[in-house]
Amino acid sequence: MPDSNEVVETFAVVPPLAEPAQPPRVGLLLLLRTFVRLGLMTFGGSVQAWVHREVVDRLGWLDNKSFLSGLTVAQVLPGANPVNIALYVGLQLRGAIGAAVAVLGMIVPAFCMIMLLGFFYRSYGHLGAVHFVLLGLAAAGVGATLTMGVRVARRLPRDLLTPLIAVTVFVVVGVLHWPMVPVVVVAVPLSIALAYAHEKRKLRHEP
Amino acid sequence: MNLSRLLLLMLVFSPVSVLSFGGGQATIPEIQHQVVAVHGWLTDQQFADMFAISRAAPGPSTLIVALIGWQVSGFPGAVVATIAVFLPSSIIMYLASAWWQRNEKSAVRKAIERGLAPVAVGLIFAGAVIVLSSAHAGILALTTTAVVCVLQSATKISTYGTVGAVAAVYLVIFTLFHPLAA
Repeated sequence: MPDSNEVVETFAVVPPLAEPAQPPRVGLLLLLRTFVRLGLMTFGGSVQAWVHREVVDRLGWLDNKSFLSGLTVAQVLPGANPVNIALYVGLQLRGAIGAAVAVLGMIVPAFCMIMLLGFFYRSYGHLGAVHFVLLGLAAAGVGATLTMGVRVARRLPRDLLTPLIAVTVFVVVGVLHWPMVPVVVVAVPLSIALAYAHEKRKLRHEP
Repeated sequence: MNLSRLLLLMLVFSPVSVLSFGGGQATIPEIQHQVVAVHGWLTDQQFADMFAISRAAPGPSTLIVALIGWQVSGFPGAVVATIAVFLPSSIIMYLASAWWQRNEKSAVRKAIERGLAPVAVGLIFAGAVIVLSSAHAGILALTTTAVVCVLQSATKISTYGTVGAVAAVYLVIFTLFHPLAA
């Protein structure tokens, strides 16, 4: 029977990451264009998933791990998640100026759009077609969210505790509808403490 | 333009920004309370209309404050309310991200990264379920979700292509089944 550390090490194999160590240098104009388009074409709760689609899957600007860390920080800290994740991506790629460009790209065109919509609401707000299309876009957003979830879940460490934490958080927030903030306040320190213990153990066994 | 009203917008929305843990959706009840009950800027019906507009508009849903600011103090009000709700939280996010970047090699960051990942995954799937159940998703919506999920996993189709295609398909379905309403 193998000792427990061997088991942990065997199961801690993460799929190989074919990803660049250093984020590529992205032009500010391209950064701006990307976030303007994302800000104008994506809605409400699923903006992050579309950002993941473009920034990680298609453009390869960030790897999954880096994006996921930023996403969690963006969700935990105050502020609109899409704006926070734009700030994080911009900062990673081009420093402070990149952060400003990405945030403004996300907010300013969407601001103009909502002003226009508010102006025209009375003339088109009653149209069933508009509500129907929005329902479709919301459903598509959930599809993008699930794709992102599967992609990042497959890269989780294959030990016992990590999936257990993920499933627990999903059940209490998604199924039992506990408020997110207290759940996160308990789960995050616990999960980080376990991860820290794991890192220390690894160091001790690989001198 | 009324300076004291602009200042008041700033004072109402900045704390909302700093306390908006959990993102845009979590702040809506507090914004409603402040705007309708505390300050009487809008009626419940006006707030409901603005909420519907903000749902229909692209980008972060917190942008509802732009509409409220417009109602309270015109275009300057819209700008001030938007800055008030995004700037304080962005500064906090910036400081956290900058620390993050500076400590790339530290064991603490590695542990945070490893520890945050499963919580993030749990929240991602929880968010998907919450959106589906709050929208009372039917067969069509669930099919859309499944098709988009498969397309995104199996192909390199872009965000813009997906959003455009879904909007087009829904418009066609709507036109076919509700010829008079369209």
